[in-house]
Amino acid sequence: MPRSNSTKLHPLLWRLLGVAVFLAVWQVAATLVQSSLILPQPWEAVSALVHLLAKAAFWLSVAGTFLRVLEAFFLSLCVGLASGALSGFRPQVKAFMNPFITGVRATPVLALILLAMFWFPSTQVPVFSAVLMAFPVIYTSTEAGIHATDQKLVQMSNLFHVPKSTIFWRLRLPSALPYLLSGAKNALGLSWKVIVAGEVLAQPRMALGTGMQDARLTLETPTVFAWAITTILLCGLSEYFFGILARRLSIQFQPPQDESKERGGQ
Amino acid sequence: MSAHVKNLKKNFGSLNVLQDISFELEDASITAILGPSGCGKTTILNILSGITGADSGALAGFEGKRFSYCFQEPRLLGWLSAEDNLRFALSSLLRSRRDSQDMGQRIERFLRESGLFEFKGYRPNQLSGGMQKRLALARAFAFPSDMLLLDEAFSAVDLRQKIELMRAFLRLWIDEKPTVIIVTHDIHDALFLADRVVVLSQRPARVEGMLDIDLPHEKRTFASSELSKYEMELYRLLGFDHPDSFA
Repeated sequence: MPRSNSTKLHPLLWRLLGVAVFLAVWQVAATLVQSSLILPQPWEAVSALVHLLAKAAFWLSVAGTFLRVLEAFFLSLCVGLASGALSGFRPQVKAFMNPFITGVRATPVLALILLAMFWFPSTQVPVFSAVLMAFPVIYTSTEAGIHATDQKLVQMSNLFHVPKSTIFWRLRLPSALPYLLSGAKNALGLSWKVIVAGEVLAQPRMALGTGMQDARLTLETPTVFAWAITTILLCGLSEYFFGILARRLSIQFQPPQDESKERGGQ
Repeated sequence: MSAHVKNLKKNFGSLNVLQDISFELEDASITAILGPSGCGKTTILNILSGITGADSGALAGFEGKRFSYCFQEPRLLGWLSAEDNLRFALSSLLRSRRDSQDMGQRIERFLRESGLFEFKGYRPNQLSGGMQKRLALARAFAFPSDMLLLDEAFSAVDLRQKIELMRAFLRLWIDEKPTVIIVTHDIHDALFLADRVVVLSQRPARVEGMLDIDLPHEKRTFASSELSKYEMELYRLLGFDHPDSFA
């Protein structure tokens, strides 16, 4: 069907156009600046990246940072889900948590990282900071997800004496899932940013942020760009794969709206 | 055996909702509670099923009864198929593997009788509004009960769907004949379905009168001269018999 093709193609074209315009602006700016120390040309950044790809240290850094992100994400998920669920069901817990959550949200990331450097070894500074920044996101979405359950459906379930566990798995969880998934996705992106920022300051071994900071200290601006591009790509890729996982999960609960039409059309 | 409701009174704060409600329910019969919107009909259902308590009055014959419900909105789980929606509502009956087999058969039977068997794999958003209401009705009947409470279950659909829905209701009812209480503001719902009609006043609700309709269900049609005398009586009980009612 040509119509569905064009609707599928369009967003991709626009996306490519966005990337092209971004690169063009970068190229023009770099040409005007005429100093690779201040703003390298795009190709200089790419060649620095290719140079990095050949080094074992680069891959170790990628692995180190990736593991830290996973650790921070997993911990945020545990803490956020548990505290969010408690707050969702108990208003007292919500009132108790509120000042803390508001405080954490208002704290600048860098202040948190600097403080954490007094308390933790350099490898754990980024993780601690990322958990503290990311778990409130999951906390908030979990709490919202719990309130998203339609109370009329809960009443219906109670009138039919549906067991509590069945209500949880078949009614509460599916109602909360969209909130949980979007919260988790945001927390994942946030984890990447905070982890790399923490690495820049805390300088653990085997870390993207450390590589970035080293390149800055030796005035290799193209390499700083190469590390930054790596971070962006990895963050984007992990969000993309998480998105696929999320769709897999939610498709069990919410079918695509036009499923019947597709079936009819075949 | 029958059940009684005697001198039921209920206030919500300073709002006097039920003034004095008394009526009798015959077993295996259909009773319609007919009254204007907002007069406290749903409150009566909530008291009968124990969701809320009455301020005073007595209930007899409701103890240990199992209740089932059909609401004004279908109240279906959007992410479950028609079949799984019934399974969800019946899940309290599951104790062993044999139960699950019996339940499967029961679900199939009620899906067939409500004319939805071909659509058992469809999710609510793939069904029409009328089919969703029929599914809610099938769910109410499939849940084994002694008393079935319907809260405006036939409103908010067009005439054709309404008649279809009522026919489905009677088909389902004939099967196990639970005692049914239908709360409605529509005279035609009461005329077509009820063995007895309890007519309520405006809030605070009192019983204005009671009418037994002695005509078998299979002889009733929407355009029936035999029902017209009952219809006139219901209009009279609702206070619409004076010319000045239209002024």
